[in-house]
Amino acid sequence: MTTENKHEGSTHHLREYGAQTPGTKGIPGKKRYSMVIDLRKCIGCMSCVVACKAEYGVPLGVWRTWVMVADKGRYPDSRRIFMPRLCNHCDYPICVRNCPTQATFKHEEGFVLQRYNRCIGCRTCVVACPYNARHFLPAKRTNNNLPKLVVDKCTFCIHRVKKGLVPACVQACVGGARVFGDINNPKSEVAKLVAKERVSVLKPELGTSPSVYYIGGDWEIMDETHNYKNRSAQQKAEFNTFKRNHHGDAFGDIVEGENTMHHVGKNMSDFLASIQHKYHDVVAALKQLLFG
Amino acid sequence: METIITYNAVHHNPWGTPITIYFWLVGASAGSFVLSAFGWVFGIKRYKPLALTASILAIAMLMIVPVLLIWDLGKPFRFIYLMLPGFWHGTAPMAWGSLLILSYPISMFVYTYFVIKNDQKWAKIIGIIAIVLALSTHWYTGVVMELNPGRYINHTPLAPLLFLTGAFISGIGLMILVLWIQNQFMREEKKIKWALMEEMGQYMMYGIVFDCFLLFLDFMQTQYGTASENIGHHTVLMEIFFTPYVWLEAVIGLIIPLLILVSPLKRTRLGVYSASLLVAGGVYGMRIWWVMGGLYMQSFY
Ligand code: SF4
Ligand code: SF4
Repeated sequence: MTTENKHEGSTHHLREYGAQTPGTKGIPGKKRYSMVIDLRKCIGCMSCVVACKAEYGVPLGVWRTWVMVADKGRYPDSRRIFMPRLCNHCDYPICVRNCPTQATFKHEEGFVLQRYNRCIGCRTCVVACPYNARHFLPAKRTNNNLPKLVVDKCTFCIHRVKKGLVPACVQACVGGARVFGDINNPKSEVAKLVAKERVSVLKPELGTSPSVYYIGGDWEIMDETHNYKNRSAQQKAEFNTFKRNHHGDAFGDIVEGENTMHHVGKNMSDFLASIQHKYHDVVAALKQLLFG
Repeated sequence: METIITYNAVHHNPWGTPITIYFWLVGASAGSFVLSAFGWVFGIKRYKPLALTASILAIAMLMIVPVLLIWDLGKPFRFIYLMLPGFWHGTAPMAWGSLLILSYPISMFVYTYFVIKNDQKWAKIIGIIAIVLALSTHWYTGVVMELNPGRYINHTPLAPLLFLTGAFISGIGLMILVLWIQNQFMREEKKIKWALMEEMGQYMMYGIVFDCFLLFLDFMQTQYGTASENIGHHTVLMEIFFTPYVWLEAVIGLIIPLLILVSPLKRTRLGVYSASLLVAGGVYGMRIWWVMGGLYMQSFY
């Protein structure tokens, strides 16, 4: 599969309702920015994660991009595999379709973007995204001018791309695993790689038509169910510690192996506590509305 | 060959307890409203005496909903965007829901006004509109999570039916309890007759049977379905959400009340009142596993 041209036997039906911009993959005369991640070259150094955190001041505990790690096989026939993750900038994004205020939208060149001034923080898009590519920004941020209590996500570094640069994660990738470009341009490196190599995408069955392609993807790390069933004990413990100690903003986190109803209650008290900082926000918004 | 995931970023469940309570309240409100409409809309005269209490109960429960929903938003003040042209997004289930949550209480207020005025014609006309809105509002709570193909536990067309049936039985259960309390303060001739409550108990029993059937259908789907559906059932619902799924919903909310309502206990006050209490509380279990359980598995991906 090189590019999908819906005029020529595309595998995708038109799922453009609510996407605001029609799918542009394979449409002549249109750009479609995409990323190819060559997992054979990824060494799991996490430079991309650090570059992204630095580029946007991404708060603790949330990620625009991250790298999954898995151990495959048994010693001595074993190896460690990695899989960088980020928003797939889907051609048919469920997050955009389901956002009630058009706060998230699709740019005609394929970027799926977020308008902080429109976002009401309902987190419907987080529920909709099958890839965990979205996160909710906390109430406290180191730089007070950065957005808070709204949803954020990877932007494919549109501000850099528009200046002719590649995204920060691509720039920082030491192994040269991340490749970025316009897949509709047959001369671009991404188009050539997708044409030549065996590529796969995450959860293709959901009809999102992702624009992040993996070369050398391992089905076990790519499959959500397998992932869930085969977590290491250490990873389980890390998740539990994180969820147990997380407060605020009404996240429905349940800790495995602990009393569910206790966490339902804790979640409610966190919600009540979160009203306090939201209240200040409401007062500020009202003041601005009334007195300018 | 085995692959063990050794590191991944941690992700949150985006929705939590406030949403579960909201789903429960909207359901119980819709259920009570259906009872209110029995007399004035469907013409079953013996239900007329409880119509006013039922619609006031439905309105009261729905008044709590905006408080929960608006303060659950990151930017509560911006809830107004949900209704502004230029912001409103027609393909988003939540955009439909915000219109329903706004129009349903208004229609109930108008209906209640005509019930108080004893105006049969208008109470019936507005009642029909209100009942469609009541059912739609609750249908929406089902689809708002169903229409996310990546959420395997929620992505079932049974969702709205599960919600509506839960609404019907929890609404009746709550109504019976409220009428029992109301009777304590009423003069003898104004009291709601026991025979009527007994009959409502029987309606509740039919609802429970249908709810059990729906759960069975869902169970079969998970047994013969995809790996995700199967794991979702076996490890998420049957292990992590065992308390709300099995104890609260199935045992407390369905099995025990069903046993009461098919046994001679159905003729006793203790039987009907306790079944009502169990059903009203048990339905909340479904709201928990539906919201938090539905979102649980993906937070590890
Ligand atoms: S990966 Fe998620 S956030 Fe990104 S476009 Fe697709 S659905 Fe939206
Ligand atoms: S959180 Fe913001 S971007 Fe996401 S669905 Fe709600 S309004 Fe849209």
